[in-house]
Amino acid sequence: MMQAYIEGKREASTIGSLVTFLAFLFGILGIAIAYGTAFGWIPLGDRAQILRSDVNTIEIIVTVISLVYAACCLRTAYGLYTREQASLRWSQWMMFISVMIGGAILLSVAIPVGLKFSLLLGQVADLRTLISQDAGGLAALSLSIGEGLISICLFIIALLALLALLVFLIPPLEPLRDQPGTRWIVSPPRKFIQAILTVLGIGVICFLVAGAAVVPDYPGQTTIRDAENHRLLAGLLFFLPAFFAYRVVRRVEEQSDELRRALALTPGKFIRAELAKSPSAGAIIGFVAILMGFTMATDLFLEPSSVASFLSNVATKGVIAIGVTYLMISGEFDLSVGSILGVTALSFMNFMTHGAPVFGVVGPIPAALLAIFIAFILGAINGVLLISTRIPSFIVTLGTMLAFRAITLVAIAGGRILRYSDHHEALPVIGISNIVFIVLAIIGLAIVAFTAYRVLPVLYRGAMQAWSIRTDNGDFGTSGAILRGLALLLVLLLLLAIVVWLAAVLSYHGSASGGQIVEVGYFDLFNGRVLAIGEEGDFFHLQIPRNANVRLAIVWWFIFVVIFHIVLTSTSFGNSIFATGGNEGAARAQGVNVDRVKLQNFVIVALLTGIAAIYETARNPGVDPLKGTGWELEVIAMTVIGGALLTGGYGSVVGSLLGALIFGMLQTGLVLVGIESRLFSGTIGVIIIAAVVLNTLVRGARQN
Amino acid sequence: MEYKQKNDKALVDMIDIHKYFGSVQVLRGIDFHVDRQEIVGLLGDNGAGKSTLIKVLTGYHSLTRGQIYFDDEAVNIHSPHDARELGIETVHQDLALVPLMSIARNFWLGQEPTYEVGPFRFLDKKKMASESIRALADVGIHIRDSEETVGNMSGGERQSVAIGRAVYFGKKLLILDEPTSALSVGETQKVLDYTIAAKEKGMSVIFITHNIRHVYEVADRFTIIERGHKLGDFHKSEVTENEVADMIVTGQIPERLRLYHGENGEVA
Repeated sequence: MMQAYIEGKREASTIGSLVTFLAFLFGILGIAIAYGTAFGWIPLGDRAQILRSDVNTIEIIVTVISLVYAACCLRTAYGLYTREQASLRWSQWMMFISVMIGGAILLSVAIPVGLKFSLLLGQVADLRTLISQDAGGLAALSLSIGEGLISICLFIIALLALLALLVFLIPPLEPLRDQPGTRWIVSPPRKFIQAILTVLGIGVICFLVAGAAVVPDYPGQTTIRDAENHRLLAGLLFFLPAFFAYRVVRRVEEQSDELRRALALTPGKFIRAELAKSPSAGAIIGFVAILMGFTMATDLFLEPSSVASFLSNVATKGVIAIGVTYLMISGEFDLSVGSILGVTALSFMNFMTHGAPVFGVVGPIPAALLAIFIAFILGAINGVLLISTRIPSFIVTLGTMLAFRAITLVAIAGGRILRYSDHHEALPVIGISNIVFIVLAIIGLAIVAFTAYRVLPVLYRGAMQAWSIRTDNGDFGTSGAILRGLALLLVLLLLLAIVVWLAAVLSYHGSASGGQIVEVGYFDLFNGRVLAIGEEGDFFHLQIPRNANVRLAIVWWFIFVVIFHIVLTSTSFGNSIFATGGNEGAARAQGVNVDRVKLQNFVIVALLTGIAAIYETARNPGVDPLKGTGWELEVIAMTVIGGALLTGGYGSVVGSLLGALIFGMLQTGLVLVGIESRLFSGTIGVIIIAAVVLNTLVRGARQN
Repeated sequence: MEYKQKNDKALVDMIDIHKYFGSVQVLRGIDFHVDRQEIVGLLGDNGAGKSTLIKVLTGYHSLTRGQIYFDDEAVNIHSPHDARELGIETVHQDLALVPLMSIARNFWLGQEPTYEVGPFRFLDKKKMASESIRALADVGIHIRDSEETVGNMSGGERQSVAIGRAVYFGKKLLILDEPTSALSVGETQKVLDYTIAAKEKGMSVIFITHNIRHVYEVADRFTIIERGHKLGDFHKSEVTENEVADMIVTGQIPERLRLYHGENGEVA
């Protein structure tokens, strides 16, 4: 239909003009929303929150997204107006984004409303015990309980609607879909379910909001904000036309071979293909869904202090999860990390307070190194036991988990807590010479130079290539080249900014006036609170809000993720890890030393656990005998959510990062939403199973 | 006489090979040789000792007694790595490829090309992709995308990649352990083509199978093993397909051939 319009056929001109006009309208709408959000006309959050800072993260995000969206829409309208082939790609993406934005806005209404209904149910149940002594109010109350039950059901159905939206992202489940003739026999179940759920979800959301009138009957308990009612209209406005337009274009394109070839990569297919390439597709979908869900359920979630809090909470476990991912990819796993953490933390503390065997009482850095060496020995014990006895790693590490735990239990008698402050008055301090900063800045400059040398030519060539073949071929055409050019510019600017900052650091510490010795707490170096980035008055100065608990371990964690990701994906060691877990016999036949790889991985896990133990003790200088109990399973959960296979051969470090982030978001988010934190383990259980099912589906789809 | 001369120039000469697993005698004094640029069909019923003999040669099992000469030198092969150093590549029946890894990564597993950045060595992914596609095309295997996971491929395609890899890396000897047992007729034919391609590259090939139909067409010579003993060596010109098939099943050398192979002819 649109193809006909672009070719200038008369019969298609009305609909074509209409779609052009719609695209234009959506563009204007996007600009209006961006404008309204930026200037506070459209309140997307509660304005009267105590913790609310002046900068509302959600509103900034919405503003940016709306602007990008508006640009897409206007580009589409222009393309259709000038009858460009590329506009078809644009119109698809525009509709896709409309559906997504509309769905998100609808969810932002559904989730809080549903939550409030369930909270209301809880309160009504409490009320019943209260009022049951007073027989008079019983009749009115039973009705309310029924309503509460219905609202719970509705909430569940609304969650199913969320699922229906996610179905967009899940790869098609039926392999026969593209065969002619079988299309309508095989594919309807998914489409049918998708359509039913979506329509049902929308209906339920409308109903929920309409039913919100019930809530004011319980004054002082819960209220529905006006903002939610306002958002509903906008959400439906975005969602419905774009959704149907998207479906119509899909149908049209399926009928024309030429068009199908030109539009081979629809937004849905593109995202699915990209997702299917990643081992952690389930984690990515889960991460986006949970992030969106919490962002919409409570305004507090994206506050800097909440983000800092959940990052700081999971940073240490995230470091261990990296190692566990390695181990799991090579087909083994380690239950003893919690105990290793306890022993390392105990040694670290003990070396500083009571003294190490040979060296006597030592300072924090030697103590940390010695403690990590002990972790190394414990990891080597695990590995050697596994290799020499050929017992499954589950049994070996179950044994060492209990055995290593005995060390802390015996060493710290009677459940005491070994505190640093009981032995030393002040926390240890180190003076850092300005030479250290100069060296660090020079290393940073070298890294930037190398990155620029590797990345910029590639981007430049890509952009030039896109520009030289920018013919209107149904692809993004000229716009693609411009986008690549913009990306190049952005990377260039980013690198320049880092260079300028490093140069500033260099000149500050290199000059005679600025170059004094800086005093830093030892423990702060490991895992201190970050209060500000850059010097006061600098261009790059960033004051971190007082209530934000940004810990240095977060930075270490991200650095570890990058390093270990590169090692896993781009070295022969990484390759042999995958081979060892994927098919041990094949790896051995190709000359991979399987035993050595496994031993190395056990040691890596133990070393990372040791480092995590130092972070933990630096944050809270004290050790109790049960430190780290239960961590092993939490870390395995993070890894599994991140897409690693328990059977080995598959997984990614980035997945473990996402798994840890999901963990942290749930921990913080559930509290902020007002759900009891006791529900945390239940929620995480559901998430684990859902994530693994998603991962399996994506992997299955990849293999078809 | 002509036979003896060839034997002196053999690529592999295994003499009086014994292998016991505890009290079980699997190989009881086997002499086995492979000439240069020769395709040998190593035949025998299930449990005859074919795979054990090959695993001794490739370093999977150690010898109980016997001596192996490779390239006219006495060698001790203790691990698959040693065998590979000598120029022996093996395609095992069941442990050829890692299903969850991409074609390129499987192809280069254990000997990945790298480039150096300071003290670090990183995988040269571009070379891994382009070289694997090119090398597989050389032996007649055309793949679309080297990033495709092996798990997505059919049994025949997997076997092709494994053989293509062995041909590419193998310098002297290629060992195929039951390469066709799980393949369709068409795929079997392809594997036979790769075998000939390997021979034309100057390699010798040992083709292990219990099904004579898979190897008769390409092999130059057949060595038949029967319960740990060698039944005999037969050049293709000497025997018919049916005679070889009979020998595998019955373990008896036909009357017609005993004249030439009298000393090996006694049957348990």
